[in-house]
Amino acid sequence: MADKIRILCIDDEARILRALKALFREHEVHTTSDPKLALLWAKSKDIDVIVCDQRMPQMLGVELLREIKLVQPRAMRLLLTGYSDLNAVLASVNESEVFRFINKPWDNTELRHIVTQAASIARDVPTLSTAPISESEKEQARQTASVLVIEDDPDTQNRLREILGTHYTVRFANNAERAMQLLEQHETGVVISEAETTAGDWTTLIKLLKQYHPQIPTVVITDRANAQLAIDLINEGQVYRMLIKPVRMGTCRLSVESAIGHYWQLKKNPNVLRRYSVSPPKNSGGILPAWLSSGLLERIKKLPRRLLGSMA
Amino acid sequence: MNWLLVILLSLTIAALSWCWLSRAKLLKENLAASEELKRMQTSQSQVMHTNKLASLGQMVAGVTHEINTPLGFLRSNAQVVTELLDEHVQLIGKVASALAKFEQVDLSMPQAQEALKRLLPKMQAALTNDERIVESRELLTDALEGVDQISALVKNLKGFARVDRDGQELWNVNEGIESALMIANHQLKDRIDVIKNLETVPLVRVMPSQINQVFLNLITNAAQAMHERGTLTVSSRRNGESVEIEFLDTGSGIPSTVLPKIFDPFFTTKPVGEGTGLGLSIVHKILTSHQGDIKVDSTPGRGARFTVSLPVDHAALKSHSVSTRDVA
Repeated sequence: MADKIRILCIDDEARILRALKALFREHEVHTTSDPKLALLWAKSKDIDVIVCDQRMPQMLGVELLREIKLVQPRAMRLLLTGYSDLNAVLASVNESEVFRFINKPWDNTELRHIVTQAASIARDVPTLSTAPISESEKEQARQTASVLVIEDDPDTQNRLREILGTHYTVRFANNAERAMQLLEQHETGVVISEAETTAGDWTTLIKLLKQYHPQIPTVVITDRANAQLAIDLINEGQVYRMLIKPVRMGTCRLSVESAIGHYWQLKKNPNVLRRYSVSPPKNSGGILPAWLSSGLLERIKKLPRRLLGSMA
Repeated sequence: MNWLLVILLSLTIAALSWCWLSRAKLLKENLAASEELKRMQTSQSQVMHTNKLASLGQMVAGVTHEINTPLGFLRSNAQVVTELLDEHVQLIGKVASALAKFEQVDLSMPQAQEALKRLLPKMQAALTNDERIVESRELLTDALEGVDQISALVKNLKGFARVDRDGQELWNVNEGIESALMIANHQLKDRIDVIKNLETVPLVRVMPSQINQVFLNLITNAAQAMHERGTLTVSSRRNGESVEIEFLDTGSGIPSTVLPKIFDPFFTTKPVGEGTGLGLSIVHKILTSHQGDIKVDSTPGRGARFTVSLPVDHAALKSHSVSTRDVA
């Protein structure tokens, strides 16, 4: 990047701020412990990347990031935290829509890489309009795109059918093969999946799908207080919403409605897709689980994109 | 006569067998009761153990958070200083190659001497005032403080858990308050102001790991009672033959109907899955076993006050007097 990246760091520990300033010494770094000042600077200093601590005496990081999102929407938001409780992780997905969730102690090379990537996206990739789409467009989105539920538990299947069936075309798959068939045959506007089931870990499929088809938002249902699984789903799966079991009708409908709207906006503006790009999975290290190996990856890559307009 | 004898005999037999049967029944009941007692004792020690594990989990969570922050800047600073030193070495290289040019110069010439005289202080200044050196020094100062932070945490943790000691010892309650507050810090720091009024108090003879558990339990309860922001005031003082430790919160308080039951086992007002209802009953049990006591009073909506008292150790009183300053 020719120009210096403008980075804003917020933490209540001054030594963390000095460390980050030294780490990004080639760039323009602004640091503060004061959330109010940060909110002011985000816009006035035209910040590209925000690096924010989660636990601060005056305000939670996720709350501050949610407000910064409104005043400086093009800035990419990173949450830096020493202890990840599940509530923080959920809020960072559902409310502040963070780009990456980074644990302290961080790895310098990795953090530099993420910040550089985030800055290039913040500058080059336009933002989606924050205005909600119109009722007629919502209707059109519902008519065109269906909801795919990847789930092998009949109870949860029934519950989702009950909640969503009257509003959306909902299709169910209880294994990866069936999910692929449905994705190939039908335009899918949102994928709902459980993170972990008795049949295995679905997150690999979700992450791969996101890697090649970032336009399809995913809503992940989880019943376990597993913060690390959720963090991986943010960083490697850019999961759109995360719901905790038991699934509540209100939140579930709202999430799916918002996700379908998001899909529709992305479909019409594929040039913003890079904002939702993911880090390659850390744990699988290129080795896919057995159920994914039989040509499924190739099929994921070949799925029709069904986008309007051209990619950036 | 024979007839009477038969009746008498059968009556005796009947009475005897009734006696024997009822004795057997009694024995059986007795056995069942002692088994029940045994079972209860086991389950109580299991409960104590579970509670200990829960407070261990709390401790790990708290310390993880506290240690990851200094680890964060320590790790980053170590790497950045390495980079800065590499850059500084490059500067030294430049200076050295500038000096090397004088090898070809006849130093007896006055111009050469003049040039060297001008150049040397500049080189020296460039090397000593290099901003990379200044920055490295700052980063290393922070790193040292980070190491101190972590050492203090580990020391506190050892003091809290008493992994290397067991049994009763002479102890300053203020030390326990400080370490319990440190362990609970991750539950407090976002939203709760802590005020400490720790007076100079005589030593008590206790099992520190157990009393620490009591303090942590009361602090955690206070934090949970304050849903939004609040203030926790922790005080210690001498009251006659006792040392009193008071935990005063500005939380939701305890309804007067609940107060009498608050130390009963399995009594809880928390939603299912959030509390076992054992915390305060164990607190009570631990304090009773130390000849101590705990009292509670509360104004619903305004907060609650828990006052722990422990007997002063008289033997220690003659020789020791511990100041709160020794703790910090």
